[in-house]
Amino acid sequence: MLERVKEIIAEQLNVEAKDITEETSFKEDLGADSLDLFEIVMAFEDEYNVEIPSEELEGLATVGDVLNYLKDKGVE
Amino acid sequence: MKTRITELLGIEYPIIQGGMAWVAEHHLAAAVSGAGGFGILGAANAPAETVREEIRKVRELTDKPFGVNIMLLSPYAEEVARMVAEEKVRAVTTGAGSPEKYLKLWQDAGIKVIPVVASVALARRMERCHVDAVVAEGMESGGHIGSQTTMTLVPQVADAVEIPVIAAGGIADGRGFAAARMLGAEGVQMGTVFVTAKESIVHVNYKQRILKAKDIDSEVTGMSTGHPIRSLRNKMTREYLRLEKEGASFEELEQLAAGALRKAVVDGDVMYGTVMAGQIAGMISEEKTCREIIDSIMQQAEDVMKKAM
Repeated sequence: MLERVKEIIAEQLNVEAKDITEETSFKEDLGADSLDLFEIVMAFEDEYNVEIPSEELEGLATVGDVLNYLKDKGVE
Repeated sequence: MKTRITELLGIEYPIIQGGMAWVAEHHLAAAVSGAGGFGILGAANAPAETVREEIRKVRELTDKPFGVNIMLLSPYAEEVARMVAEEKVRAVTTGAGSPEKYLKLWQDAGIKVIPVVASVALARRMERCHVDAVVAEGMESGGHIGSQTTMTLVPQVADAVEIPVIAAGGIADGRGFAAARMLGAEGVQMGTVFVTAKESIVHVNYKQRILKAKDIDSEVTGMSTGHPIRSLRNKMTREYLRLEKEGASFEELEQLAAGALRKAVVDGDVMYGTVMAGQIAGMISEEKTCREIIDSIMQQAEDVMKKAM
């Protein structure tokens, strides 16, 4: 799943997938603002068929946070 | 003029007044609604009971529909959200994020929900949550701004969603209204021009500063903090920009900006206060009543649209 998640982030933010690791922070490392985060979250929602409420966005600071979140939601 | 926005809000003209902090209080909201537009109270950082008082004061002044703007980052956002559901105002507009967690509460109370959005993705997300309309606000606006212009954002949002779109940012006359309609909007929201209205309670210095502003007079501060704000140039903005350039900390910048809007609006300190206004400030040169503003916009819009055909 990590590879696909990296691809989605890379596509949404126009960065290189190879520069992204589980520790990568959306804000600090990739310069994403709140609008960018909505773009990314919506792309994940489409890809994995889950719903991510806005209140939970704050807990998703790094790529690793997203992976754990998706796993908790039952995404393989 | 009939659009889905006039139907949705039960108003005569699809003209909405922005929910500006400190400025959008009961006199202004009642005057805009009384003139056939849609007045809005800006809840900003006020506690629920203060806003409830304001709602009641509007109701004493007019029986026309009006709304409340809720700033979602306010420490009182939650209690204000509940209070408006009790008071059953006609509509709520929201700023600074996504109002998802309050939607059911408001929808159950029969309140129309209109989030302000600054991107296509957020507009689509809001539509999916069954909000009634969105305000697509360009960075020509005063106060907190996004990064896209009205010219580019409005048609892209209008293409992306089925629900009606209200254009905001840079609109203050009939030409702007007509242009917004051509871009696909079914209504407009205006802030700066209503700040200068006769019924607006802002300090005379604040009003005069806008009425005398030139086209190039506005400045954006706070880019470095991720919360950019447009206001009219003065000692405050120059100092802020200097500090930003020097890489000052968020705390340092906050200290300079804290309470600065109140200082300008209430105390009339337009040198060291924050005089929030949009880029269109340069075009506004006369203090008019809300009715005069709205009537002249509708008249001019009709004229220019006829001529353009």
